[in-house]
Amino acid sequence: MASLQEDSISIDTLDERLKIQSRIEELPDTDDEGVPFPGKGQIPLNRPASISPSWLQPAVFGLFHIDDGTTTMEAQQKTTAECLSYLTLKDSQDLPLNLYGLPHLRRKAHADFLRVTLGTLPAPYAAMDASRPWLFYWTMAGLTSLGEDVSGYRERLMETVRPLQNPTGGFGGGHGQLSHCACTYATVLALTCVGGLEVVDRTAMWRWLGEVKQADGGFKMALGAEEDIRGAYCAMTILALLNLPLELPQDCAARKTGLNSFTDKLGEWVSSCQTYEGGIAGAPTNEAHGAYAFCALACLSILDAPHKTIPRFLNIEALIHWLASMQTTPEGGFAGRTNKLVDACYSHWVGGCWSLLQAATKSPNDLWSREGLIRYLLTCCQQPGKRGGMRDKPSTRPDGYHTCYSLAGLSAAQNHYHYHTEESPTTFLSSAFQWSASRPSKEEMAQWSIEEEDRVRLVHPVFVVPMEAVERARLQFEKGGL
Amino acid sequence: MPKYADDPTWADIVPLPTDEGGPNPLAAIAYSDDYSETMSYLRAVMAAKEHSPRVLDLTEDLIDMNPAHYTVWLYRAETLFALHSDLRAELEWLNETALAHQKNYQIWHHRNLIVDRLCGEEQGVVDEEGLWKAECEFVEQMFERDAKNYHVWSYRQWLVRRFGLWGPVELEFTERMLARDLRNNSAWNHRWFVVNGRAEMEGDGGLGVEDPEVRAREVKFAMEAVAKTPQNQSPWNYLRGIVRKTGMSLGHLKGFAEQYASLKEPDEVRSSFALDLLAEVYVEEKKAKEAGEVLDLLATRYDPIRKHYWQYRKGLLGVEGAAAA
Ligand SMILES: [Zn+2]
Repeated sequence: MASLQEDSISIDTLDERLKIQSRIEELPDTDDEGVPFPGKGQIPLNRPASISPSWLQPAVFGLFHIDDGTTTMEAQQKTTAECLSYLTLKDSQDLPLNLYGLPHLRRKAHADFLRVTLGTLPAPYAAMDASRPWLFYWTMAGLTSLGEDVSGYRERLMETVRPLQNPTGGFGGGHGQLSHCACTYATVLALTCVGGLEVVDRTAMWRWLGEVKQADGGFKMALGAEEDIRGAYCAMTILALLNLPLELPQDCAARKTGLNSFTDKLGEWVSSCQTYEGGIAGAPTNEAHGAYAFCALACLSILDAPHKTIPRFLNIEALIHWLASMQTTPEGGFAGRTNKLVDACYSHWVGGCWSLLQAATKSPNDLWSREGLIRYLLTCCQQPGKRGGMRDKPSTRPDGYHTCYSLAGLSAAQNHYHYHTEESPTTFLSSAFQWSASRPSKEEMAQWSIEEEDRVRLVHPVFVVPMEAVERARLQFEKGGL
Repeated sequence: MPKYADDPTWADIVPLPTDEGGPNPLAAIAYSDDYSETMSYLRAVMAAKEHSPRVLDLTEDLIDMNPAHYTVWLYRAETLFALHSDLRAELEWLNETALAHQKNYQIWHHRNLIVDRLCGEEQGVVDEEGLWKAECEFVEQMFERDAKNYHVWSYRQWLVRRFGLWGPVELEFTERMLARDLRNNSAWNHRWFVVNGRAEMEGDGGLGVEDPEVRAREVKFAMEAVAKTPQNQSPWNYLRGIVRKTGMSLGHLKGFAEQYASLKEPDEVRSSFALDLLAEVYVEEKKAKEAGEVLDLLATRYDPIRKHYWQYRKGLLGVEGAAAA
């Protein structure tokens, strides 16, 4: 039979599903809805007067925004309007401010918000029934970014995902659901965070991945489902973290078309997803999209060293040009497509591309505004009031997805990631394990207006889980074999 | 209130309840009884590999409750094909479902499968032209509600490929979409696909923008869009795409860019994208000093959020400028 797809990373749809989730979340808790928004219209007294970075000068952001009556422009103006008083701190939303006048990162509130998702969820969450592994991943990744210890969830998570694993390999969204690359990716990463990877049947996984490998080099999302770049990134992540053999299983279909390895024709397939705009699409000829840019770059960074694979398979100057254009004025966050709106989840999908690109170009200098992204996340994306959590933009509700990727984006903005050319490979796909990270200097923190309390942990630039969790996985499966 | 347990049609099935994974599962969903029961019947029929008309009813019920359930869609498709069901009826049902669940994407892939199979299996029986026309019309109706839906555009591309709709009708469609919103980048991307896709994907005809006539037409089309909305990234990206693909000299675009930004009138810049292009023009002319001035204008005045990027471009210039000297 032909194919169906699941689309758990695909941003537009997922956002939509999460809007359902957010609506659900507001049911029992009306503190933000029932009373006037806390702090609305209030100007904090102790705010330094000098908060106005160059891109926030009215003379700059008003330059080109002419009202041309298009739907796109209307939406853009609405978003700018809802962000502006927060960005300029005219309205601090009653968030506690740091030394530099920016809101502090609400560590405890965000951690509490994430933990709630791990409890029992009300019936309308059935809409997430096929994406439950994402809830595990977003929560574990988000909590660890905040420096929380998640090892206490280890046994429970291992028990919870056991019925999601199919005897034929891989994980589905729930018990009795078909194995799917996105669900498997999310499960494997969540298990990586808690150190519970031994629950994975590696041999069956290897066989199943062999079934989703395609003759053209890419991967399908599930048996008979659609092929897109998420499949390639998810599959490579799973292969690398579990240190599975790269030879394809003897009996898989891709072998019959002459392929021998999981990596055969992969770079070429990723290459075919670059569009005339310079960005990367989910599949050849589709529109360039920020989430797929990260999938492409991370996939190539697993395939081999980023300075080898990225320039070899992509027009790197065109890609940088497109990615840089995704940072929005005046908001400072990232949009996911040309002429679309800023959205916090792209803080990771686009923001996470820069470390990989910097390793590819060996450029010593930044190519983007860390300061802009940090300000957008801290001023516009933190939910004020009791509940915590992070949101796409001020007019939306917080959810686990945006909380996880806002924090990952903050980590990309606040820390430095270095690729070390490998000396002696220790795993089959060793390049993704060659990263180290370093914290910002005092000067940088002052420049970006953050204090120690506002810092997030070092998040692995390819796997998007804590650095030390990646090292633990590497040591666990160093021996390889099945 | 059990729906299936009391139904004699389902009496032979022993439902498979969900395995929660221990007494303390994480993020456990408190399913409604309805959903729980229906899922336990799906597990049972899937375990028995049953493909029957009642499975179609069951999957329809589940899709109504949770349209994002990929497994249900997959199993429904498998069942439809195993039963040689009436696929035209399936399409009609899909129309209603798509309208009820507009953001759902599984539906578009399912639709793709059904339409493909319909033409493949019943070749010569099915009125192909009638079919793709109806499909295109339905897609356009969906764009009334969300003109940038990624999955619907992806389906539209598939229709173009499957039925070879590379002609003027599809180009007019992109013009119609852009007339509604000149900033709809999905429509620009579709135009690029219609113009170049045949050459790129199939290699069996058409040169796309590498045909001088087509190139001239497309350059003109993008320029007219810029004239209406100078600070609109989409047509500028489109122009840059043409330049990259054809290797045409940027010199051809210099006068055009200067209508919107020029070093002679640094206070009258109407588009940051024009400045960006102008910098490239100067690089091609090996005028590193002028290119640097343009990039400075971007970094300090017209596009400071990308200051680091413009400085990076200026850094590349140093190298090229030195090479030129
Ligand atoms: Zn988002």
